[in-house]
Amino acid sequence: MVFVREHEPTVRRLRTDGFLFMSGFLDGIRCGDCECNVDWGERRNTIASIAAGVLFFTGWWIIIDAAVKYPAQDEFHHAYHTCGVIATVAFLMINAVSNGQVRGDSYSEGCMGQTGARVWLFIGFMLAFGSLIASMWILFGGFVVPQKPTVYPGIAVFFQNGFGVQVWSYRGSLALYTLLSILYETVCFSGYSLYI
Amino acid sequence: MPVSDVTEVTTSKLEITLRAPEHFSVTGFTVLELLMTSKLNFRVYWPMFVLIFYVLSPIPTFISRRLSDDSESSNACRELAYFLTTGIVVSSFGLPIVLARTNTIKWGACGLVMTGNAVIFLTILGFFIVFGGGDDWSWEQW
Repeated sequence: MVFVREHEPTVRRLRTDGFLFMSGFLDGIRCGDCECNVDWGERRNTIASIAAGVLFFTGWWIIIDAAVKYPAQDEFHHAYHTCGVIATVAFLMINAVSNGQVRGDSYSEGCMGQTGARVWLFIGFMLAFGSLIASMWILFGGFVVPQKPTVYPGIAVFFQNGFGVQVWSYRGSLALYTLLSILYETVCFSGYSLYI
Repeated sequence: MPVSDVTEVTTSKLEITLRAPEHFSVTGFTVLELLMTSKLNFRVYWPMFVLIFYVLSPIPTFISRRLSDDSESSNACRELAYFLTTGIVVSSFGLPIVLARTNTIKWGACGLVMTGNAVIFLTILGFFIVFGGGDDWSWEQW
């Protein structure tokens, strides 16, 4: 089976002069002619969505790893999973609403209108930051203070929520968001090293 | 000897399309060879689960390209597809690592699986770049 792309045909000239048939094979490369000249607005969205995907799923795989390594209830209490689940729900809620619906200038009003969109977003942010704080509480209250021998599950919950909080609907400027992420990750790592 | 110019009318991507089955077969054999090495040497078959992720990975992009008419403007469907595809790719790398950490498979097998992952995902990415997703495929016998 051959896939044929609907394209206007380009005329190509073959040179058939003996053993120098490969001379000029670089002629076809035209620098700067690539079609990747989309404006940086779209690139930003694509890169942000890919980065958000990487972080979000890495967080989930970290918690899966912790759950597999420490299946016992007293090492990794199974109720701690709730934190990550709520963070995921909050992430989906926040990204379900677009900026336009919150501002009120989108084409369709949606199910609940502008006020409903704002309430939805508010609840989403509350759940997200609540689960982030809960993860810190779990780390320090459940693992550090009782001086449990294996603290990795607590770290895992913390990182999963940290990664899950990455909001990729571009409500603020990307620079501010990046700055906040870097600050947050610094706090994470310093907390871990302090425990050590 | 005068240079004889042969004028040929051809589509610029036709040669790549003609060779696409070869590319895929070569890549497929590479990947399967890597996976098989991991199994035959180490005699465990858990890494086969990453094949599910290989199959799933282009599906969100295909769906979003089918559903959206404009391919260049940013739309939420396309970004959701990128998000899910990235998640599937990360999962296919995460699964061997988790398996290796619990000593279900050896770390050598994990490395082989991840190499196979990289090859196959680069191939799929190359496919999407070259063909642009194939919105207007027409099946023709050439």
